[in-house]
Amino acid sequence: MAETGVDNESSFDDIADIKEAPRYSCSLAGAYASTLGVYGAVPILHSGGGCGVAQLFGQFYTSGECAPGVQGGTGTPCTSLVEQHVIFGGEDRLQKLIKSTTELMEGSLYVVITGCVPSLIGDDVESVVRKFKAETKNRIPIIYVNAPGFSGNTYKGYELFLNAVIDQYLVPIKKKKRTINILGVVPFQHVFWKGDLETLKNTFAKIGVEANIIFTEFDGPEKLKRIPAAELNLVLNPWLGHSVAQRLEEKFGTPYVTFPSVPVEPQQTTALLGIVAEKLGIPEKKVKAIVAAEERRAYRNVEYFGDTLIIGMPHSYTAVVADSATAVGVTKYIANEVGYLPDITIITDNPPEEKRPEILRELSENIDCVVKPEVFFESDTHKIRQLLKGRSYLVLLASSLEKYITDEFNDALHLSVSFPINDRMIIDHSYVGYRGGIVLMEDIITKFTGPL
Amino acid sequence: MNSKDDVHICDKKLNLKEKTCPNREQRANGINVYYGPVTQLIKDAKAGNLKLSERKFQQSAGCTLNFYLAIRISTIRDAVLIFHAPVGCSASALGYRELFRNIPTAAGRPPFDLHWLTTGITEKDIVYGAGDKLKKAIRVAEERYKPRAIFVLTSCASGIIGEDIEGAVSAMQPHIKAKIVPVHCEGIRSKLVQTGYDAFWHGVLKYLVKKPEKKQDDLVNIASMLSYTWQDRVEMTSILKRMGLRPNFVPEFATVQQLEELSEAAVTAPLCASYTDYISRGLEQEYGVPYFMYPSPVGFQNTDEWLRKIGEYTGKEREAETVIEEERRKWGPRMDAIRKELGNIKGNGKKIEMLGALGQGRLLSQLPYFDELGIKSSAALSQDYDNLILEDLEKVVDQVGDFNILVNTFQAAEQAHITRMLNPDITLTCPFQGSAYKRNKGATRTHAVRCDNLKWSQQTAYAGAVAYGSFLLQGMKSISWQKTMLEKTQYGYKDWYFKQSDPLYYLEKDAV
Repeated sequence: MAETGVDNESSFDDIADIKEAPRYSCSLAGAYASTLGVYGAVPILHSGGGCGVAQLFGQFYTSGECAPGVQGGTGTPCTSLVEQHVIFGGEDRLQKLIKSTTELMEGSLYVVITGCVPSLIGDDVESVVRKFKAETKNRIPIIYVNAPGFSGNTYKGYELFLNAVIDQYLVPIKKKKRTINILGVVPFQHVFWKGDLETLKNTFAKIGVEANIIFTEFDGPEKLKRIPAAELNLVLNPWLGHSVAQRLEEKFGTPYVTFPSVPVEPQQTTALLGIVAEKLGIPEKKVKAIVAAEERRAYRNVEYFGDTLIIGMPHSYTAVVADSATAVGVTKYIANEVGYLPDITIITDNPPEEKRPEILRELSENIDCVVKPEVFFESDTHKIRQLLKGRSYLVLLASSLEKYITDEFNDALHLSVSFPINDRMIIDHSYVGYRGGIVLMEDIITKFTGPL
Repeated sequence: MNSKDDVHICDKKLNLKEKTCPNREQRANGINVYYGPVTQLIKDAKAGNLKLSERKFQQSAGCTLNFYLAIRISTIRDAVLIFHAPVGCSASALGYRELFRNIPTAAGRPPFDLHWLTTGITEKDIVYGAGDKLKKAIRVAEERYKPRAIFVLTSCASGIIGEDIEGAVSAMQPHIKAKIVPVHCEGIRSKLVQTGYDAFWHGVLKYLVKKPEKKQDDLVNIASMLSYTWQDRVEMTSILKRMGLRPNFVPEFATVQQLEELSEAAVTAPLCASYTDYISRGLEQEYGVPYFMYPSPVGFQNTDEWLRKIGEYTGKEREAETVIEEERRKWGPRMDAIRKELGNIKGNGKKIEMLGALGQGRLLSQLPYFDELGIKSSAALSQDYDNLILEDLEKVVDQVGDFNILVNTFQAAEQAHITRMLNPDITLTCPFQGSAYKRNKGATRTHAVRCDNLKWSQQTAYAGAVAYGSFLLQGMKSISWQKTMLEKTQYGYKDWYFKQSDPLYYLEKDAV
């Protein structure tokens, strides 16, 4: 096709990768973010020198402007490979870096993350790590994650990290009754990860379930080791982490249950507690009593925003642009409990084809409103913008990439609720659990309220 | 300055026939590490003794692509940027629309709508090549956004698999209205991030800058720095306007036309000598646009000199003197008051000691300014060093005397070490210094958040000298944040490292 200069114009299968500002980084970023989420683990990047800095800006600051801590960003050990290493190999650099890192940086688990360059030049990272373990007589815990950026996105990196942990770090231990692991929430990529995980842990504690949230716990590597002790794995995602849960089932015999969202309000939270309680054989009566008390408080607080909601901006058409778990949770909440009309929901995390029907079902059958959202799967920022044009919504719950396009859309009220978020500081903030919905409404209503 | 012809100091001639620039390492003996008195660095540089080194312990500190290059190019208003890379290499540009967008158009911000694409190189592309994909991306860019220019940025992956970027570009250019500009910034090409900026300017000079149709005698090229704020632009614009001149700020938030017209300007003036070097030399070599590299408009004395030099090249000497006099009259008393108050802080007649984490540009511009404020910089951290700034660095030494310099490509552990060891009254931090800010003395920032629109955050010219001076004064008035963090949080590095005296403990002593 000389006319356009493209030789193989009929082949459009790779054009899908060409995107404006997709809402995730690469698999190295996902493995790196996951490692930093495990407090006590130290990432060691075997990569070009820019991979840490790129993710400092592209995966961490984009996560509610969060600095990634002393082991993150420019604090992250990195072999910083250049051309000479491409020619002669980078194994020697890695060997020296592992030794020096374990001498200098506090940590109880070291995680070597291999980027594009060593993967392309064929460095044998496994043997470098094996050699180090032999030399140090296995006294220093270390694993490696092969996560070249070209192998996938942040979500893939999260799974690669957990798979490496399962294969290289975990050993079978005795099961402990009424304990669960929470999977499917990716550090930094799920911008509200810190607040959400803590809320979930506390919520489960109320019904007597000990939730191992793995991330944000100070003895993170110990929490990793406890993964096989769980009675049940809970995956809070309609697609991500399912394969990890399967692997844990195969290896440690732990059954798993999936839930299609991070539970954004009382209804979803109550449903989630019910599912877990049933699986763990917790008496229904006990759960019901706790749920009743939690709901009573939650809805009493909802009364506080009632007047400003119903006078200020009631039953507004709403657009949601977010990853699957957030999109399902937020759309269900605003539709089923706040009375907003779900106009359009755009899912930005590329769920695999076979998981899409379940997401579509959640966003139709489980939406209690005559208006059902039109659902799209799209991560290209340009296409998302086209999809958002010419619609009725006045509330746009999206990422900060949509912050400054709202003038085209009737000046819709914009709030960042999904990655990337550069326009809000998100640390403890959470939309999860009995109080989460109220927090979300505080954030929305803050944008329009005034003296009544 | 160079007595021995056989010692390579730096190569000032640019060869635009090549597809890209030489690395800073080759062009100007750039180095990634040095620790010692700056006078010794200057001697070593002249004797050709500088060398690159490896560290047994090193930390991620950016690459030619990912140290603000992406963000810079993605803000060119009517251009589109294509990252020919795996998806992670472009993630740093995710905040692109928000940069400066909170600044009201009433404050002079032009409207803009920025776009970048990634080709999202995958495993399959690694095996079969991604040339077709790049061509498609170029076509997508043209069809979607109808830009005036399309920049193609390369990556480690595209470099290692041997992508023929020039081939793709020349195949597509006849079918595309936008000018396609390849920028060779694969991270593996150089240890020095400045090479990426040179690679960008090489592309601009080679593909975009047009032969001058007319000379614009009142146009002053300024290669701006993202680390200066919108208010700095406003300030420089207003000062130059009073001299009857117009700044041509490139590349951030410029139009492609502004880049095309660089050749028509009267002079190229510096804001950061290191960043501006390649474009300044190129414009003189190809189009006879004169330039100067020193000084930048930071601090009173250097702003005087900056304006005078611009005045010389534009025939506005008298106007420059008028502005200098007016500005000094307006801001001088406040500067004196700040200087006096800073001088009284320690109460023993001694100067405040400062340790700044700076790039080469700020090394040259900030140290004389701190000296003006009566602040002593007994040491400075510089991201890198190359001989392009050698002569200017000598001028700084003439102005402020000798000081220790740690060239260290933003190595956080080394910065934490030297900060603890020197224990200055105040330390200026970039956002990337790990725990170095956790201390019992002063700590503040080097520069503001990119979207900052406060006059408080200005640093350039006379108003900026006063603003940053009073900012530093405020910085000396509380240590509670950094002290709390020191007491309550992890430091990250083990104690033995701070009990030995060498910040370059992990340096491999053999050069590579």
